[in-house]
Amino acid sequence: MSKGKGGANTKSEILQGTLDLMILKTLQAMGSLHGFGIARRLEQVSEDVLRLNEGTVYTSLLRLQQKGWIEAKWGASENNRKAKFYSITRRGLRQLVKETESWERISGVIGRVLRLGVRTP
Amino acid sequence: MRVGKLRDLWSRVRRSVRDEPRDQDFVTEMEDHVGLLAERYRRQGMTAKDAELAARRQFGNTVLLEEDHRAMLTIRTIDEMRGDLILATRMLRKNPGFAAAAVLTLALAIGANTAIFSLCNAVLFRRLPYTDPDRIVLLWETMNKGTRITVAPANFVDWRNASQSFSEMAAVNPSSGFTLWSQDEPLRLSGAGVSANFFSVLGIRFALGRGFLPEEDLPENSRVAILSHRVWQERFGADAGVAGKTIRLNDGMYTIVGVLPPDFQFATNPADFEARSQNDIWVPLALDLGKLKRGTHPLRVVARLKPGVELHQAQAELNVLGANLARAYPSDNKEKGIAAVPIAEQVTENVRVALQALLSAVGLVLLIACANVANLLLSRAAARQREMAVRVALGASGRRLAQQLLTESMLLAALGAVTGFGLAFAAIRFVTPLLPAELSRAAGIAVDARMLVFTAAISVVTGVLFGLGPLLGIKRVNPGESLKQTNRVVSGGQSVLRSALTVSQIVIATILLIGAGLMAKSFWTLIHVPAGFRTQNIVTARLSLPKSRYPDNRRIAAFERQVLDTLRARPGIQSAGFATYLPLSGSDNGWAFFIEGQPPLPVGVFHFAKYRPASEGYFETLGIPLLRGRLFTPADVADSPWVVVINDSMARRYWGSKNPVGERLRFGGPTWRTVIGVVGDVRHEGLDGEPRAEMYMPVDQAANLEAGPTIVVRTGLDATASAAVVREAISTIDRHFPVDRIETMDQWLSRSVAPPRFRTMLLMAFSILALLMASIGIYGVMNYLVIQRTREFGIRLSLGATRGDLLRFVIGRAAVLIGLGTCLGLGGSIVLARLIEKLLFRTAPLDGWTFAAVPLVLASVALFASYLPARKATRVDPMVALRYE
Repeated sequence: MSKGKGGANTKSEILQGTLDLMILKTLQAMGSLHGFGIARRLEQVSEDVLRLNEGTVYTSLLRLQQKGWIEAKWGASENNRKAKFYSITRRGLRQLVKETESWERISGVIGRVLRLGVRTP
Repeated sequence: MRVGKLRDLWSRVRRSVRDEPRDQDFVTEMEDHVGLLAERYRRQGMTAKDAELAARRQFGNTVLLEEDHRAMLTIRTIDEMRGDLILATRMLRKNPGFAAAAVLTLALAIGANTAIFSLCNAVLFRRLPYTDPDRIVLLWETMNKGTRITVAPANFVDWRNASQSFSEMAAVNPSSGFTLWSQDEPLRLSGAGVSANFFSVLGIRFALGRGFLPEEDLPENSRVAILSHRVWQERFGADAGVAGKTIRLNDGMYTIVGVLPPDFQFATNPADFEARSQNDIWVPLALDLGKLKRGTHPLRVVARLKPGVELHQAQAELNVLGANLARAYPSDNKEKGIAAVPIAEQVTENVRVALQALLSAVGLVLLIACANVANLLLSRAAARQREMAVRVALGASGRRLAQQLLTESMLLAALGAVTGFGLAFAAIRFVTPLLPAELSRAAGIAVDARMLVFTAAISVVTGVLFGLGPLLGIKRVNPGESLKQTNRVVSGGQSVLRSALTVSQIVIATILLIGAGLMAKSFWTLIHVPAGFRTQNIVTARLSLPKSRYPDNRRIAAFERQVLDTLRARPGIQSAGFATYLPLSGSDNGWAFFIEGQPPLPVGVFHFAKYRPASEGYFETLGIPLLRGRLFTPADVADSPWVVVINDSMARRYWGSKNPVGERLRFGGPTWRTVIGVVGDVRHEGLDGEPRAEMYMPVDQAANLEAGPTIVVRTGLDATASAAVVREAISTIDRHFPVDRIETMDQWLSRSVAPPRFRTMLLMAFSILALLMASIGIYGVMNYLVIQRTREFGIRLSLGATRGDLLRFVIGRAAVLIGLGTCLGLGGSIVLARLIEKLLFRTAPLDGWTFAAVPLVLASVALFASYLPARKATRVDPMVALRYE
């Protein structure tokens, strides 16, 4: 669903599917957050390297809710405005462990493959 | 997990169906987010406007997000359909005239189809109320020409003993009437004698009690009876303990053993397959095996095929059996065969062709309706070209446009179907009581699943059919061109399509009108056939004489004379007489005879004539003319010389140009009867039947009287008053006397032509509907042509064309379409008319009168329909037309 438009800047596109994982991790680490909070946290952690249409965060949040990995509640934000707060569910936690393992395995493999490519000119 | 998925699916469906264009929570969430972003940029020093822009850029396209969001929460197809439906509803509401015209057209056509289908459903397609009705056949004796006749008792017993193809075979003798005595009140009921296994052949489950036992089928044990459900309810108060009780039937005491289920029906011909003329009393047939006859044919035979035996195998066996019997008993069975006919086929035989013709006719009406609505939609499509162009420009795909248009068509079809279903329902309610007897199974018409499915199916088909028209137009939508042009310009291809639709409407209308014309001519010919007797001011009543007090013909004749004397003394009664077999009543009999002085006939060949015991006064009352000799007088009694009156057909057939008066003939017995007179022919079987050779004899000289006598009275009174007089006169002679079925001769006549009248009227109604729709069609096309060319007409007028020129131009255009359609329609009719040949009475399928009149009528109506728009063309004001736009 994320439709990042390729451009001449140095920001990286978010890999399809990885946004879900990052949001899941964020919610696990930070507890309950609203959409804006999640976007800020991602911005902060990625140190401005990732290029993100922040709206896509909501698509991701809906998808995670439909899978039952996170849940949403209406609450009051810091400045006392009504906002929807998202938190990770038990199933979401289990999924996060699985996805983290699989991500590390794959990124490990990809890393090794890419290093291989450097050695043979 | 699975439950969760289901819940998710359900929530998606719900959201798809609900009319909730935006998810407000989500919109708030997004707006808040953008607001917070913008606030941050403002704090960084941007202007409010720049901050807002930057925030929106960072957030992304909210419209797309909202669409994605919705897509994730709903099911796309349903969601789109919902949208299309809302749009379609809005469209129709904005064009109520168009919507009403289209829905009404469809409702009439779909309603007619549903009504006729429900008739077919009830009459042709419904299973008879037996176990495995497909395995039940009726067996008939066949004459050398294939005519099926009822069966002689001796032949039935031989068939039953010899055949291997049937698990069971039973006979029915339907002619016995019964008088049921309850509290000294005689009640006349129809009844039948049946073999003990009759009900098990059909596979009936009794409502109460049991069927007959084999030993009850013997003459000495046969005083048992089975009641119809109706009589059980009406006369026995639905008494659950009725089985085992004794009733007085005719002159004997009978024990009731069972009650039939309410839906039980049995008859061997369609006219009797009628709830209201079903038998009420069933008794054992109890054939006396020692005295079986082969020369009289009272029985109908029903049999069940053995499992695994096919109809053709059974027929093959019967062919052999029939040949054997013909060899063994040449005097009775020569050239006779046996035919097995599935009971469902037998019962629907006469109506099948008629119903199929009607079903095809309404199908054609539906096609015309489709063409009409397609035409309407095409006009609208032309007006909507801009709208379509805008949609294409905004990114709608061809598929989406097609989906949208199809949804509109389907909505129209659905509205038409619902209205039509209501119309059909009302029509059935209204028409069912008027149905002729052979369609009487239709009394069981009910809204069943099959009927609903049928209506739904035809409405989908019609929706697609007439929706195709505008769909073809879509491909041509070119946004650039269309947006530049004005509304009034249409591509040429579309008007070709519209003309083709109009021509096919006229083709179909022509075919239907020809069909209706042929039927009408046939019906007209039929009702103008002279019946051979008077029908006006004649009241008839059937009497049943209890055997105990009227054991022989002499007693019956004495009773009749007494009644006639009493009646003739009553004011208002002009004449009266008795007949045993009343014309048009369906009862009949015939006898073989020998003519004095003629060489003996070869074995198996007979002189044969219809047998009609009648009293004096009968011919005068019915106005049957005396051609030669004299009629019966009160002096022709049992002891006077035996006499017969014969009809013209019999005289010509057996005596040719010779005067038969004074000649003598005899039946099986030794007594010679002298021919004393010749009377005119009577169409006994109905107006469409041929007159037969008939011989009349005085009642007390008749050989036997099977049927109760029918009194015929000519009166100056109205029917009710005459009925009262007849009842009163009879009760002064015999107080215990049931008089049933008091009817006028006109009623008998009207009933005898009910089937052709019914189908003729329906077909005419359908063809008039077709003509109207086709006329509306051509009106629409011509009207459109005039609107489209208003400007051109203005120019022509200002360049010197006369209004007459314009009128001729428009009418000429219409005439080409009408002419083409009529010619093609006549061609089609030549082919199709043969299909209804069976339904036509003395009318050729290519009847010149009809083929000449129909095109004339059709062309005049259609030309008139196109004259209205043509006149509009002549009223074009050139100045206005040119200034326009």
